[in-house]
Amino acid sequence: MYDIELRSVSKTYAGTRTRAVQDLSLAVEKGDIVTLLGPSGCGKTTTLRLIAGFEWADKGIVALGGRVVGDANTWVPPEKRGAGMVFQDYALFPHLNVFNNVGFGYKGKDRLQRIMEVLELVDLRGYEKRYPHQLSGGQQQRVALARALARRPVVVLLDEPFSNLDADMRTHMRAEIKRIIKETRTTAVFVSHDQKDALAISDRIVVMRDGAIQQTGTPREIYQFSANRFVATFVGTTNILEGKMAPGGQSVVTDLGEIPCTHTHGLTTHQEVFISIRPDSLERAYDGPIKGRVKEYTYTGKAIDATIEAQLPNAKTKDLLVHLHPEEVVQVGDVLSFTVLPNFVAVLRRD
Amino acid sequence: MNDMTGPHNQHLVTVGEPFSFLRRKWYKLWRDTPPGPVLLILGLAVASIMSIPILYVIWRSLLAGHARWLRLLDQRIPQLLWNTLSLAAAVTAATLVLGVSLAWLVIRTDVPGRALWRWLLALPLVIPPYVGAVSYIIVLGRSGWARNAWINSSWLMDRFGPYPVHIHSFWGVSFVLAMFTFPYVYLITSASLRKMNRNFEEAARSLGLNGAGVFWKITLPSLRPAIGAGAILVSLYVLSDFGAITMLRYVTFTAAIYFQRVALDTAGAAILSLVLMALTVAILWLESLTRRRSRYHQTANSYREPSVLPLGRWKPLALVYVVLVFLFSVVLPASVLVFWSHTGIRMGALDGRFWRFAFNSLKVSGIAAMLCMLLAMPVIYLKTRYPSVISTAIEKLCYAGYALPGVIVALGFIFVFNNHLSALYGTFYVVALALVVRFLPQALQAGDAALSLVSPGIDEAARGLGYPPWKVLLTVVLPNVLPGVLAGGSLVFVSSMKELPATLLLRPPGFDTLAVRVYYEASEAIYHLAAPAALLIILVSVIPLRYMLSRY
Repeated sequence: MYDIELRSVSKTYAGTRTRAVQDLSLAVEKGDIVTLLGPSGCGKTTTLRLIAGFEWADKGIVALGGRVVGDANTWVPPEKRGAGMVFQDYALFPHLNVFNNVGFGYKGKDRLQRIMEVLELVDLRGYEKRYPHQLSGGQQQRVALARALARRPVVVLLDEPFSNLDADMRTHMRAEIKRIIKETRTTAVFVSHDQKDALAISDRIVVMRDGAIQQTGTPREIYQFSANRFVATFVGTTNILEGKMAPGGQSVVTDLGEIPCTHTHGLTTHQEVFISIRPDSLERAYDGPIKGRVKEYTYTGKAIDATIEAQLPNAKTKDLLVHLHPEEVVQVGDVLSFTVLPNFVAVLRRD
Repeated sequence: MNDMTGPHNQHLVTVGEPFSFLRRKWYKLWRDTPPGPVLLILGLAVASIMSIPILYVIWRSLLAGHARWLRLLDQRIPQLLWNTLSLAAAVTAATLVLGVSLAWLVIRTDVPGRALWRWLLALPLVIPPYVGAVSYIIVLGRSGWARNAWINSSWLMDRFGPYPVHIHSFWGVSFVLAMFTFPYVYLITSASLRKMNRNFEEAARSLGLNGAGVFWKITLPSLRPAIGAGAILVSLYVLSDFGAITMLRYVTFTAAIYFQRVALDTAGAAILSLVLMALTVAILWLESLTRRRSRYHQTANSYREPSVLPLGRWKPLALVYVVLVFLFSVVLPASVLVFWSHTGIRMGALDGRFWRFAFNSLKVSGIAAMLCMLLAMPVIYLKTRYPSVISTAIEKLCYAGYALPGVIVALGFIFVFNNHLSALYGTFYVVALALVVRFLPQALQAGDAALSLVSPGIDEAARGLGYPPWKVLLTVVLPNVLPGVLAGGSLVFVSSMKELPATLLLRPPGFDTLAVRVYYEASEAIYHLAAPAALLIILVSVIPLRYMLSRY
């Protein structure tokens, strides 16, 4: 059974014409971490709020733990849904200390014991008496998570939990929160517009745009085999080329020549497609098939991000992004050659 | 029934409900989070208390009859319009000049003692204009000190003829009102000046503008919203003022309505009220127009304190100006009142009678403040947490009594209680309720400001943790907004202590408050009895000053 199930859910906000979410179906298995990823306005937060019960869908069914909590006739209020929520600004109660914040929703007899248990889990023993304003951003976030987990919710919902943290803290908290959620075997749904967050924490990623799902898959599937142009460009940087499926379905014919690819989304011969070549899959190779002049480059420390003006057979040129090893020395105007590794090449539907 | 969805999802069976269509519409109206029935009913009840008296005035004015309308339109209204509008224009212009120039001097120049002036110049706010009027009558009036000194000085009499100041005149009223209302403009403008980012002025400098150019092209235009807001406040005040105007024997709409009512012509009073309401609404409409047009954004991240201009040889002149304004608006009225209070107390003015008035003031203002704090909560909570057409309407209705002059509110109460609740008419509860209608918005604003600092996420977090809405209100929202609500209550308390027209019109026989005594005793020139009461009102008004200043 799925812990969270949305079936053909649509939602239009009062006073607007466009649908915030349209005909969205989603199923999350018990214990999974799923991230709703997309640019602002793509409907990811609306989806989260529909699950939490702060919005009522116009159409479709929302079920938590196998129980219908919202459809055309039913609407269970948020306090009765058993979904724990972690808010973007954490929403800690400013008038309560850490202990009472964490214990706010827990009514069991073992309140003291449970609160200490959860504080232990988020590594905040000893902070019980502090007030929210006396905590750092990362600590506040862990209190918010502890508060959501204290009631042993069916699911935890996290709305852009990392957006208020600085870069170092962010990397640390990603690992920390993933550990806590996995340790408690809770089902979790994240909302994020940051592909790095999504790739790092998720078991599965749901890429959304304009209220509709673009692709669902593991982080690797999403990054390596993006389903369409939007997903490919939103998750990481890439080079998009036009092309046609070659006979046999194992390569695509483009202006740059025939490019091999291992994952074709079931597209068949002669279909018009896009092809996405990640910068990582263009490898320096002496006498490789793709030749181009360095147009500009940026040294980032980890790599050299360069733009190559590649010569096409039909005398046109095409700009390609490539990553070079940071030890290489290049100048604008140098001519380099590359070969394509098939693993990071994705064939995209043209639609 | 469920074969449409297929056999694989049998576990998602739901039961249909009757009226689910209506329920869905209702949810849609509230953007999916409708308030509970208790909260909604409370909000609607408050809105009706706030608006029914005023609607009643409109209704009565429409029923007043053709002949009466024509007579008033012909004989009274043109003169009243001219009196009221010219006074509003003169006072507004004067306060703009005073307020903007003082704010600029204190915030942006090195006028000596600027840190001190910043607070001192807000002090006139604690002196109700009718109290200020009393002190000016004492000094400049027909038997005032200045006149006596003038008549006794043969040099002045020979040189300039008879005593030239007529405080009971258009210019006298304008002067007195301007002296005690300019802090509105001053406070709003100086807040805006303080927030102004230095980067803009420096950018203008780097683009080749000199000091004066920067002032006219950058500083002043960016002050426009503040100046506009101040002007609106002042002109609305002038429209609603009753005490200072009647004491100085000038007649505007408020005074005319009062005297019409005293002469028992309630229909005529209702007609005049309707015209005054129209004026008020017109000014509010103007305000909403300017607000829409000029929205300035500050780049918050790069904020830097504005620079301070050296005044150079203008310094003494600027200082003299600031000192003079402070003398006329604070020192002079305060010392007059202290002098007469001293005299009065020596003559036994603080007798049982005085304390009874003080107790009456305390009682009626205390009840009004408590009621306001209680009634404000559901309205604010509805407005900020349950946005919809209905909650907006409730909020707007609650502000009706605030924008409108006190005489109109009192007139509405007379109609309602005389006709429908006559058992309560002539009790001091009616006075307290009228004060609630007049000043609830002060509690609303204060509570609103406090609640807007509490993220709605906090409510949602509490609901997600299993608390139904009413429990969220009590355990989470209330503790966090309590300081703001209490501050609002103290504002209401002080405003009620100062309130004159509604108390005058609605009080039961023999129920005199401090404000009422100041009014009567001053108009009979019994200054030694008026002064202690006036001084007490001023002292009470100082209490919420800190809070009021922190808002600007």
